[in-house]
Amino acid sequence: MTEPALKAVGLTKRYGRHLALSDCTLDIPAGRVVGLVGPNGAGKTTLLQLAAGMLLPTAGSIEVLGGKPATGSEQLAKVGFVAQDTPTYANLSVAEHLRFGASTNPRWDQATAQERVAQIGLNPQQKAGKLSGGQRAQLALTLAIAKQPELLILDEPVASLDPMARREFLKGLMSFTAEHKASVIMSSHLVSDLERVCDYLIVLVASQIRVAGDVDDLLAGHFRLVGLRTDLADLPPGVQVIEESHVERQSTLIVRADVPLDGPFAVEQLSLEDLVLAYMAQATSRVAEEAVR
Amino acid sequence: MIWFTWRQTRTQTMITAVALAALGVLLLATISTITSLYAPVAVCKSDCEGAISTFLVQFEASTAFPAYLAAVGAMYLLPLLLGIFGGAPMIARELESGTHRLVWNQSVTRTRWLAMKLAAGAALSVGSTGLLSWAVTMWSQRIDSASQDRMIPLLFGSRGVVPVAYALFAFVLGVTAGMLLRKVVPAIAVTLAVYIGAVVAMPLWIRAHLISPVHETIALNADKIQGLSLSPDTGQMTVTAAETENAWTVANKTILSDGSTFTGPADLSVCGPEAPLSKCQAWLGSLNLRQDLLYHPTSHFWPLQWAEAGVFIGLSVLLGAFCFWWVRRRIV
Repeated sequence: MTEPALKAVGLTKRYGRHLALSDCTLDIPAGRVVGLVGPNGAGKTTLLQLAAGMLLPTAGSIEVLGGKPATGSEQLAKVGFVAQDTPTYANLSVAEHLRFGASTNPRWDQATAQERVAQIGLNPQQKAGKLSGGQRAQLALTLAIAKQPELLILDEPVASLDPMARREFLKGLMSFTAEHKASVIMSSHLVSDLERVCDYLIVLVASQIRVAGDVDDLLAGHFRLVGLRTDLADLPPGVQVIEESHVERQSTLIVRADVPLDGPFAVEQLSLEDLVLAYMAQATSRVAEEAVR
Repeated sequence: MIWFTWRQTRTQTMITAVALAALGVLLLATISTITSLYAPVAVCKSDCEGAISTFLVQFEASTAFPAYLAAVGAMYLLPLLLGIFGGAPMIARELESGTHRLVWNQSVTRTRWLAMKLAAGAALSVGSTGLLSWAVTMWSQRIDSASQDRMIPLLFGSRGVVPVAYALFAFVLGVTAGMLLRKVVPAIAVTLAVYIGAVVAMPLWIRAHLISPVHETIALNADKIQGLSLSPDTGQMTVTAAETENAWTVANKTILSDGSTFTGPADLSVCGPEAPLSKCQAWLGSLNLRQDLLYHPTSHFWPLQWAEAGVFIGLSVLLGAFCFWWVRRRIV
């Protein structure tokens, strides 16, 4: 478990002229539940598909659990991947999906799979094509979990689910992480989905990683400063302004600071959602500036 | 993985098996008719032409003749159906419905996954077509030996090993088209078009040159002339002589003694519309015309069969190798 779950250096992916992922460098320790958040089209799916070995990078390198993604069956056995639309074989029954998992995975855990199927309330004889979206997502998650991976990658697993199914899905995921000590990387465009389950966060906007780190560290290192414009114009070194807004003489700043903050202004804690939104706003304004230039 | 591959191909395997069984019943039910009609030929020791032609006439009027036509049709249809309904959807359906993202993330490499699929499909195509071709070739042995016509393009492609190679090619072509187009219906359409193109192009332009045909230049006697055409104004004339029997004629030219193709001009006083035909024949006989022939005799049947099968097997191997390269490098 000493190998990082995911290590990327200068990872870049282009589709023709479109840059989907630009110069990403990441080092995610093993054993974490990682949330990958960003607006639609930011490159989340590209990053996760590179990690699963579905895509090959244009430049840079990526390693998952110490190996190049999808090279050989041993590497494949270590990584579980649930794709965005949670594909299943429409003409195969639930039980046949489990048999499929058993016949294609060396570490398959049939007992867990059957238990989960019963828990979710799926009829084993039911064809997957007749399942609801939530049930299909649960079946796909069951396949990925029973494979007993060391790293589970989930691409927008709850995006298409209703609130009930969403909660059930996340519950299933949490019981898996509690039992297996495996690493999980899941993406979403909603922070609220990730907040409850993740202890590590990556914000990806406009094909670039804006911030990545432990959730507690991130929360402890970001603040909202409210005060007079003049007082906030001159901040000590080590304080990085992420977002600023001004009204009359008053300013509100969202900053990243690894030094103690002290001054004639109010220092407030941020919620995870505010933090993510600040990075998204920053990236959007930068992109707009570049477009103007 | 073996169970899964079987699960995904079992429906088409069942359908193929049922179709083969039905054809088998048809052939078995009609074989006794052929045997009894052939009895006089079988006991004939010498001067058997009469017995043979009687057999052929009776056979064409018998209930076995529709089975004979059905067998030829089935030999062409089976490889095509295996290609468009077995090969084309095999990968295209996975890519179209996104299930490749499920199966490629189990502990089976893409290469192994493709190898299993190709092996299963190729086994079904080669096995079923091979079985049918063997049955049809055996069943029609007496008819083929009596009529000596298995070199003609239509029958040539429905006998021996060629249909098996067609089936392998159609299947791998379908897989390749599905992999590139990623949608079932366009993959079926392209497979259909390319396969029919290849199977039609073969006898039209390629087959004759796979092994060198027999080249013969023989004196043209007046009684061998089968066709005459003549322009009464210019005297331009073409003469067509009878083709070699029991062979597939590739080229048949009427030439002069210096080797150039004979085109006239005709002596209109002996070969005109008013003159009697015998005079014209006598005049042609005085020209020392020769017949320049290129043909494949019956003895070329098996060498040509293997050569053509080799071409299609070679194409299948190339397409298969391309599929392995593509699945590893290009597909998301």
